Amino acid sequence: MGPLNEAAGPATVGSNNRPFTPSLLLGLALRPVPLALIQPALDALVAAVRRRHPDLLERVSAYADSGICIDPTDLPFVLLLTLDPARPRLTARRALEPGEASATIRGSLDALIALTDGKVDGDALFFTRKLIIEGDTEIVVALRNAIDGADIDLTEDLAATCGPLAGPVRSLIRVAAGVIGRLGQDMEAVRATVIAPALARAEMQSARIAAVERDVARLRRTGSGR
Amino acid sequence: MNQQRPELVCPAGTPAALKTAIEAGADAVYVGFRDETNARNFPGLNFSRPELKDAIGLAHRNGAKVLVAINTFPRAGATDIWHRAVDDAVTLGADALILADIGLLAYAAERHPEARLHLSVQAAASNPASIRFYAERFGVRRVVLPRVLTVAEIKALNAEIAPIETEVFVFGGLCVMAEGRCALSSYATGQSPNSNGVCSPAAAVRYVETETGTASMLGEITVNHFRHDEPAGYPTLCKGRFVAQDQASYLFEEPTSLNTLGLLPDLIDAGITAFKIEGRQRGRAYVAAVVSAFRQGVDAVLAGGTPPVASLDAIVEGGRETAGAYRKAWR
Repeated sequence: MGPLNEAAGPATVGSNNRPFTPSLLLGLALRPVPLALIQPALDALVAAVRRRHPDLLERVSAYADSGICIDPTDLPFVLLLTLDPARPRLTARRALEPGEASATIRGSLDALIALTDGKVDGDALFFTRKLIIEGDTEIVVALRNAIDGADIDLTEDLAATCGPLAGPVRSLIRVAAGVIGRLGQDMEAVRATVIAPALARAEMQSARIAAVERDVARLRRTGSGR
Repeated sequence: MNQQRPELVCPAGTPAALKTAIEAGADAVYVGFRDETNARNFPGLNFSRPELKDAIGLAHRNGAKVLVAINTFPRAGATDIWHRAVDDAVTLGADALILADIGLLAYAAERHPEARLHLSVQAAASNPASIRFYAERFGVRRVVLPRVLTVAEIKALNAEIAPIETEVFVFGGLCVMAEGRCALSSYATGQSPNSNGVCSPAAAVRYVETETGTASMLGEITVNHFRHDEPAGYPTLCKGRFVAQDQASYLFEEPTSLNTLGLLPDLIDAGITAFKIEGRQRGRAYVAAVVSAFRQGVDAVLAGGTPPVASLDAIVEGGRETAGAYRKAWR
């Protein structure tokens, strides 16, 4: 899917902060959208992936009863993936009930799409802290291996759901991916030149305040000891 | 200067990764069956019999070989799983079997005298007497050397054991010392890397998010705690960061990865037959990046140039690379 193959980025490490990406803007735009409107697209995508990559579900057949929470950190909802070979589902939800998912995979939408497309390596995302895993690690590893082994191309899979419109949809996705890529570069420039220095200043001020607080506390202790 | 063209042996955990490896320039791809007969027995990974059949067909059509790793140690009472793996790999047309166990080597040599046998790194054969034993007794043609020798030692060894071939790791995760004999993971999980093919099995691993970072747990043991701004590593005990005398440090080995791109001229000069890239558990993106880098590197050296500088820090454990024992100064 276009420019997303740089999601792993250089050997810098991420953080748990909400990523400053085009998907964050998309997330803000999607906030008032009812999830029921998103669900048909997810259903069509699952049907296409299932039809085009039947070996995927076979590789995770041991985990048919499990739910996995996929949490794109820049979107205002999570996705619940269930792996029942007869009826796999990807459901958009505002939040999950305790126990609904055995594991959670958390990362920016860019990173999650690049991982699905095989453009980045899951371990590399984990090493650089751009992917967070919680809960049952075995299911996550199995799913990661199954997806990587299925040779998924989300652009092609999405286009395949559109019948005679496949060609125009494919072009539209590529154009959108290009625009998103350029927007991402612009936002990264803003982050690097405006936000990052501001955050660094704020962190320095916090450190100074903490040092002053320690000094005050020490002086108080010294004072009360006299 | 020796300029024999080394074979680039690349990892594949799935048919898609095998295709990626071949497209990226692999001369050979090594794979395993989807069970405990190989040392990367991870969930959702590896090849079914029909997948291996198709993979061998694809590889051969593209002039590449497929080596099948059956390199764990058979358990008493369950040896038929390993015997079946050997039989099936031969029947499906594997170009070589990578074996570690003496009993399994004997079985393969007896039942399939025509099969090409390679000695796995798991067997940890690192001196001429040991290597000759495997060659004379079982007809082993190639030995994958444990990652404990310097380049000079490998060159001297090659001169002594010729025509037995050697294969060395050029990239990827590192194990500590006596390979094939590590029981650290077994203590914490009850499952053995050498018999079950799982070091730190995923079912025993948990990641716990804390306010300051991520804790990795293996069974009940906290293996490490990575700050948010620190690169992470695998949850293996050998690369755990433990508190001793009130100080947290890597007691055995730090999470770094082997990268010998800069050593390729020396390794080619040492007369090594094959260069191996670790990582059957890694994704297609890793396979594409690493195999391409080494294809370019080997070709550049053979053409009289120097290997291109390629930082692979972003995809390796701990975000750091080392030349490992190849350049070791210690004994």
